Amino acid sequence: MKSWSWTETQALGVRAASGAGVPPAQALAFGAMLARHLADDGAEAPLMRALTAPDAVLGLAHRVETVVEQASVGGNSVTVEEADAGQRALLISWLSALPCEADLSVTGNTITAKLDLAAPSLRSRPARITLSDDLAADLHALASKTYVPDSDTSRASGAGAGLMELD
Amino acid sequence: MKDFAPAAAVPLRAPGEVLRLARMGAMMPTRLSFLRTLLRRLCAERARITRTHWQMSAEGHGHAVYAIPLAGHTYSLVAISNDLPDDQRSDRVIATAWDAAFVLFDGTPGAEDIARIKAQAPKQEAGRFGPRDLVLSRANKSVRMWDATVSALHAGRQPDRAMIRDIGYLMRTTAVYGNGKFGIADRHLIADRPGLGGPFAAEMLAVYMIRHFTLDLVQHVGGGTLDRDLAQHLGIGNATGLGMAPFLVTHPVLLHNWLHARETALARVRAVAEMSPDIRTRLHSLAARAAAHLAEWHVPAPDHDATLRQLETDWHRFRPQIDAAQSIDALWQAAQSQSAALQELLAALLIEAFPEHVDDLADSMGDAHGPLVQPFADTGALQLAIGRDWAWALGCDYAQADACKRFWYVSADKLEPRLGDRFADAGAALETPLDIARRVAALFAALPPQAQPLSTFLRDHPEHAMAVQRVAVLAHHPYAEIRDNLIAATCRPIDMLRCKLSFFGATKFDPKSDLWTRITLAQGAPLGDALSPEGEDWWLPVLG
Repeated sequence: MKSWSWTETQALGVRAASGAGVPPAQALAFGAMLARHLADDGAEAPLMRALTAPDAVLGLAHRVETVVEQASVGGNSVTVEEADAGQRALLISWLSALPCEADLSVTGNTITAKLDLAAPSLRSRPARITLSDDLAADLHALASKTYVPDSDTSRASGAGAGLMELD
Repeated sequence: MKDFAPAAAVPLRAPGEVLRLARMGAMMPTRLSFLRTLLRRLCAERARITRTHWQMSAEGHGHAVYAIPLAGHTYSLVAISNDLPDDQRSDRVIATAWDAAFVLFDGTPGAEDIARIKAQAPKQEAGRFGPRDLVLSRANKSVRMWDATVSALHAGRQPDRAMIRDIGYLMRTTAVYGNGKFGIADRHLIADRPGLGGPFAAEMLAVYMIRHFTLDLVQHVGGGTLDRDLAQHLGIGNATGLGMAPFLVTHPVLLHNWLHARETALARVRAVAEMSPDIRTRLHSLAARAAAHLAEWHVPAPDHDATLRQLETDWHRFRPQIDAAQSIDALWQAAQSQSAALQELLAALLIEAFPEHVDDLADSMGDAHGPLVQPFADTGALQLAIGRDWAWALGCDYAQADACKRFWYVSADKLEPRLGDRFADAGAALETPLDIARRVAALFAALPPQAQPLSTFLRDHPEHAMAVQRVAVLAHHPYAEIRDNLIAATCRPIDMLRCKLSFFGATKFDPKSDLWTRITLAQGAPLGDALSPEGEDWWLPVLG
């Protein structure tokens, strides 16, 4: 187990989702959800389960989009049904990670969300997030799929400074 | 963020005028730049940098700790100076060793903290840091300036004034990491502290303290004391490559807040009705300083130096307008037939001249929460917004080779952003999504003729979600997007770097290619033992 900053946890989640084939906006949201989920002591297993099937991540993203859309047209509270406990936990974390204020309650399989889209989230973020070594390794493995292998050409012409700078 | 409505009767410049790469590549530091804002606070508090540890060999290898109070907190810089062979000295992010490594620490480090930082900081990206480590940085000597200064001090004389004027720093940072990188503290942990709430404030504090350390170290090794005017003109260099460019694209609300504050400042100043003798005198003084600064600003690259010399000539011809103009706005209007470079210099000068109208805007340049936007009612509303705000992105055929020649990516080796040639280099399939204009154009083309709920559209076309978000953000934050195609063959990342670095407060831009530049920070800034409100006037420093 190693402790991580919020920012690097979130960034790793974004990269891992991208490596799993999730489009950029949903990958960004997944990273925010992952940090929130782990900060709230959520179970790790559903995270990797979702990343093994990008459609599952897109499904979560779509459900959250729908909640936000309903909230924007005056829905005082929006309900979402989810029977699978792991998926339900991720949905709660995803809604909790929205930048707006989100008041969530859970009864059985039903999540009830009250969103104030104009008010910033006041949820605090911890100084540290703990990831198991296994989860970190799995996320890194997915993230590495987004990096372009180095070549002499990329080092010489695709990057910044010259090689030796003495003056 | 403050409301978009300008606080003055003069309208803000349009985003389509301000956010073109060619103009961004001409931007100048202003009194709203982050280093200036930080120094203003330190000067107001009459803060003092104190050296609390100094274990340094005669050759200048060892470690030191400095402390500075800021708004009731103490921050410490732990500096480690190494013996670096010349053949290992590189400004590239791929380097693995540096002359010096630094950590800005939250509070006063104990012996265990110092030992830990001494072990980790020299490793930089390969090290591991904790939540009391606020900033991680490293620097290399300007060998020419360093050796000349040490030799002069050894000989009992001062270093060559012309060399200080031409180089301007003893060391050059090659990375300044903050906000959670490699385990260091997240920004949200310190963002509500007075003095550190502004963008990159902790990074600027680290840079300012590093400058102080370099002055201490060279005098220790040289065995002499620098004249104070020479010391004050030695800032801290920085070599910046592509890594900084994507930030402006991936943080659209911040980009908006920065530009909006600066444009509001300019509009407020242009609305000042009176051109009193005092104001005219102040403008003349700043214009003369700008002219002297330009005369001292030379760069090796012939094309960039030619641009500077043209600006110097244009500025000389323009200065009489200060006497001719009957108002600030008339002076501004007189510049509208001039180059973007001259206009940006004049904008910075006008902002400098009226602190009472602009300084409060520094408080509006952060973004604590990320974008809070209402979703579009349906795809029809989205279509209208694209037609209204994105015409600049829709007129391009992105399938043409020149319109999509470049692609941004992250290298596997050092995880640094790079730029590739789509038709020559491998890796385009792993492109980083900085192609915002192309994405919005593709979204526009994919929208159905009949309006449907956005969630339905995105369920069927999830690949367009990012473009939808960018459209939603721009609808509420008009300065959030660079109005150019960032994958075009003509895209020059150096223009993005210039914009961002001008907001940091950089001077003496010294571009080495379209991909990287050197700059100077804190040149002319008050020394760490002389911070006072009287010393805060150091925009565009001149050594003479």
